[in-house]
Amino acid sequence: MNESRSALRGQLLVGGAIVAALALAISYLAAGGASYTPAKTQDPCQDRPWSNPQGLGEIANQFTTSALDGAACKLGVSREVLARALTTPEARERFAERYGIDDEKLARAIRAGLLRAVDDAEDAGALSPLLAGPVRSTVERIPLEQAIELIQDGRSLLGNVQGFLGPAEELLEEFLP
Amino acid sequence: MAAEAPRPRVAALALAVGLVLADSSIVVLALPEIYRELDTSIAGVTWVLISFNLVMALAAVPAALLARRVGPGRAAAVGLAVFAGASLACGVATELSTLILARCIQALGGAVAVTAALELLPATVGSERRAATVWASAGATGAALGPAVGGILTELVSWQSIFLIQVPVALAAAVPILAVARHEAATKVLEPELRRTGRPHLAANLALAMVSAAIAAALFLLVLLLIEGWRMTPIGAAIVVTVMPLAALLGSRLDNHVPSARARAAAGAILVSGGLAGLGLLPKATVLLTLPPQILIGLGLALVLSALTETALSGRSPQAIHGGWTISARHAGVVIGLLALTPIFTADIAEQRQDAIDAGTAVILDSKANPLLKISLAQKVEERLDGEEGKVPTIDPAFEPLPEDPGERDEVVQLRDELQDQLDRAATHAFSPSFLLGALLGLLALLPIGLARRVDL
Repeated sequence: MNESRSALRGQLLVGGAIVAALALAISYLAAGGASYTPAKTQDPCQDRPWSNPQGLGEIANQFTTSALDGAACKLGVSREVLARALTTPEARERFAERYGIDDEKLARAIRAGLLRAVDDAEDAGALSPLLAGPVRSTVERIPLEQAIELIQDGRSLLGNVQGFLGPAEELLEEFLP
Repeated sequence: MAAEAPRPRVAALALAVGLVLADSSIVVLALPEIYRELDTSIAGVTWVLISFNLVMALAAVPAALLARRVGPGRAAAVGLAVFAGASLACGVATELSTLILARCIQALGGAVAVTAALELLPATVGSERRAATVWASAGATGAALGPAVGGILTELVSWQSIFLIQVPVALAAAVPILAVARHEAATKVLEPELRRTGRPHLAANLALAMVSAAIAAALFLLVLLLIEGWRMTPIGAAIVVTVMPLAALLGSRLDNHVPSARARAAAGAILVSGGLAGLGLLPKATVLLTLPPQILIGLGLALVLSALTETALSGRSPQAIHGGWTISARHAGVVIGLLALTPIFTADIAEQRQDAIDAGTAVILDSKANPLLKISLAQKVEERLDGEEGKVPTIDPAFEPLPEDPGERDEVVQLRDELQDQLDRAATHAFSPSFLLGALLGLLALLPIGLARRVDL
C-alpha cells in the first residue's frame, strides 16, 4: 500500500512537471514568443507605395525614401545600410571598403535612385510632369557630393528646381498637391 | 573526534562546501563588469567561469584520494587556505590571464576542501546518509545563492569584493577544522583505496553532467540577457535571479514527500527543460516574463540535483571519492554547457545586432520626421555602433539632447522607443537558440535517468 502510494506520488510529480513545462512553453508561444524578432527590412528593389503626401515636407520625405531604395537596389545593399553610409565621409569610406564600391559607382547609383524617386513622385501625382522634366535634367548632371545632399533631403532638390524655374515658392506649392 | 565540538565543526564544513560551490556561479553577475573593466570579449570572460569549473571537474576525484591519504582534516584546512590565498589573488588581479590562473588555483584548493569535508562529515554528524544530505544541501544552497550575492557585491562595492570577502570566510571555516587536523597528526591516516573503491554510478553522474550543463545555461545566459541585453544593473539582475534559489528552497521540501529518486530526477529534469524553453520563447523583453521559467528551473534543480547526488552516493563507499565523482560530473557539465553555448550565443548576438540596427534605421527612415533630422539621428546611431563594436549598443545617448520643440521632441522620443524596441527584440532573440539548446540538454538527461531504471536510480 505504502509502495503503491509512493509510486503514485512519483507519477503525479512527473505528470505535474510535464504539464507545467508544456503549459509554459505553449502559453509563451501563443503570446508570440516565436515571432519576437527584429522587424525584417524590405527589399529596396520592390516598390514602396507612396501614401498620399501632403505638402512639400511629406513629399520630400517620401522622395528621399524612394531615392534611397533606388540607389540601394542598384548597389545590391539594403536601404538602411546605404542611409547610414551616407551620413558622414568616414561612414562612406567604410561602406566603400566593405562593399568594394568606388565614388563613380556610388554617384551612378544615387543618380539612378533620384530618377526612380522622380518617377515615383510623378506616378503618385505628387510632382507634376512640368516639374518632373527639369528635375530629371538636374539629377542626371549633378556631381556625387551634391547628389548625396539631395538624396538626404529631397526638399533641397525641389528647392533647386524652384530656383531653376524662377517662380516663387507659392507657385511651386501650386504644382504640388 | 566528532564528540569534541560537532556543531561549530558541522557549520564550518557546511560553510566550506557552500562557499566553494558558490564560486562556480558567484561571478556570473560580475562577468559583464569584468568584461568591461578588463576590456575582453564575451568568449574571453567566460573563461573566468569555465576555468574554475574545469579544474573542479578534473581535480575532484584526485582531491578526494589526496584527502584520504593525508587525512581529511589536514586536507580540508590546507584546501581552504589555498582557496583563501587564491581568492585574494583573484581580488587583486588586473589582467584576465592572472584572474583565470588564480581561479584555477582557487578551484584546486576548493576541490580538496569540498571532498575532504564529505569525508569528515559522517564522523561529525553521526551517519553517512545525514552527512550526504548536509553536504548536498550546503553545496546546492551555495550554488543557488552565489549569483545573487555576487551581483549585490558587484553593484554595492566592486567585482573584486566578491573574491576579497571570501578570504576571511574561508579562513574562518578552516579554524574549527584545525582541531581535526591536529588530531590526525597523532594518528595513522588511511591509504588511498582507489582499487577498493566501487565504480561510480555512471547513469546518475552522466545525468548530473547534462542537467548541470542546462542549469549553467540558465544562470549564465539569463544574467547576460538581463545585464547586457536589457541593460539592467547587477543588483537589479541579482534580485531577479534570486527567484531561482527561492524556488529551489521550495523544491527541496518535495524531497520528503516523494521517496522515488528516479521520479524526482525525471520531474526535475523536465521542469528545468520547461523553464529553459520558456526563456527561449519569451514573447517580450520584460523581467516579469522571466519569473515563471525561473520558478520551474529552481524547482527542477532542487529536485534533480538532490535526487541524482543521493543516488550517486547511496550505498557507495568511500563517500569522499563518490562525492568527488558527483562534483566532477556537475562541474564538467557546467564546462560543457558554457563551451557549447557561448559560441552559439555570441554569433547570434552579432547577427541579431545587425538586424536590429537595420530595423531601427528603417524605423527612422519611415518616420515622418524631416529628412535632415533623420540623417542626423542615423549618423548618431552609426557613431554609437562604432563605439560599441560587437555589443548590443545603448541607444539613448544617440538621441541626446532631445529637441526643444515639443512636437519634434515627441517625434524623437517615439523614434527612440521604437529603435529600443528593435534592440530589445534582437537581444532577446539572440539568446533564444542557446536557451532552447539548454532545454534540449535537460531533456537528454532523461535518457540516463530512464536507462538507470534497472540499476538503482
